[in-house]
Amino acid sequence: MSEFFVVTAKMWKEYSGLFMSGLGMTLFMGLLTVAISTVSGSLMALMRRSNFGIGTFKPFRLIAAVYVEIIRGTPILLQLYFFYFMLPQWLPFLELSEFTCVLVACCVNSTAYVCEIVRAGIQAVDKGQTEAARSLGLNGTQTLLKVILPQAVKNILPALCNEFIAVIKETSLASTFFIGELMTQFKTINGFTYRVLEPLTIVGLIYFILTFGLSKLITLLERKLNASEC
Amino acid sequence: MLVSVKKEIIRVENLYKSFGSLQVLKGVTEQINKGEVVSVIGPSGGGKSTFLRCLNLLEEPTKGQIYFEGTDITDKKVNINIHRQKMGMVFQHFNVFPNMTVGENVSMAPTLLGKKTKAEAKDMVEELLNRVGLYEKIKEYPNKLSGGQKQRLAIVRALAMEPEVMLFDEPTSALDPEMVGEVLQVIKELVDTGMTTVIVTHEMGFAKEVSDRVFFMDDGVIAEKGTPEEVFEHPQNPRTKEFLGKVLY
Repeated sequence: MSEFFVVTAKMWKEYSGLFMSGLGMTLFMGLLTVAISTVSGSLMALMRRSNFGIGTFKPFRLIAAVYVEIIRGTPILLQLYFFYFMLPQWLPFLELSEFTCVLVACCVNSTAYVCEIVRAGIQAVDKGQTEAARSLGLNGTQTLLKVILPQAVKNILPALCNEFIAVIKETSLASTFFIGELMTQFKTINGFTYRVLEPLTIVGLIYFILTFGLSKLITLLERKLNASEC
Repeated sequence: MLVSVKKEIIRVENLYKSFGSLQVLKGVTEQINKGEVVSVIGPSGGGKSTFLRCLNLLEEPTKGQIYFEGTDITDKKVNINIHRQKMGMVFQHFNVFPNMTVGENVSMAPTLLGKKTKAEAKDMVEELLNRVGLYEKIKEYPNKLSGGQKQRLAIVRALAMEPEVMLFDEPTSALDPEMVGEVLQVIKELVDTGMTTVIVTHEMGFAKEVSDRVFFMDDGVIAEKGTPEEVFEHPQNPRTKEFLGKVLY
């Protein structure tokens, strides 16, 4: 047992550079994924709410619904494999790096979840707000921008931060392709030292500190949002 | 003999509304004249609110026409947003905008829709809020207001669009009893300015006091209508009698 702690401490000293670069990559991928998915997910949510179409046939709604169901209904690891091999094969002229392929897969995955977060956030705003805005003569877009979205943001922001936490953990799957995030570094160190538990513990601690800190921040944010106005 | 010609502002023809298999309105034909104050009373589920909400197309009628200032607003080619600007509506649950200050609640629609410049809106907001005793709250958010204050805010928010007609959907039903009076007072003052008003209400005393005409709605039709005296003192329809017997005590 005591050997475990000694080796862990030694390992941390020796490979802290690798761990830190892994942390950097994990954060970079997580942030990039959430930033991109926030935009694409919001657009997807608007598609899910669009009334464009003939009768009950609403093409945007249908596309968005199918997309969300497929992405949420298949494992993210499968999606990673799929994009990792599909993109270079179908779009070879783009000469995408491995990192880009993995990032695309993460974004495609996260978009579906963000879409549902935004949709739920909008839906949670009382219907009376829409009615009041429309009764004043605002059109649908004005109502959405001036009345609904500012209120929905309060519901959306905390959930979006939770999605960020989920994405941080999901990026560990990208280690399958040695992208250089935390889990990849574990594999690297494991290759050097033939040790499993010690580097795994360190990586686990880093993940935990990261996500625990973030979730505390979210709690703070939620309290702030609830204290402000409405 | 001079006959004062009443100018019609809203005309409803053969209005039907169903929610799924539930028929709520079963053929309502009626007209409302400029300057008239109409109260709509009746039991829950009788179609009062649905009737009112059809007037500005918050509910889309299943069948029938609604003419506002001579235009058939149920026509798909009509831009309903333009007409809604002239029909103020006040809701049972206030529906004030919690993300805006009291002042912004009032000024948002007229400035956004180009009815007023920012400077014009500022003067108007101050005047309107003064009128309902909310001037000191101009920079507060609605969560700092009581129910009665919220409803008074909702009323001036609608008035800021300078509507031709005001529609009230049970404006006092969600209020604590001690706040009903202050809201009814504001509505009364508004009615006294000659505003065309349709009000769905359970406040029978108020309906009797302010109305030119009263509609009793039951089972999706206007079962009885007339002056407040006619409807309240000498109801003809047995359903009206039964309803009034239950609510007047």
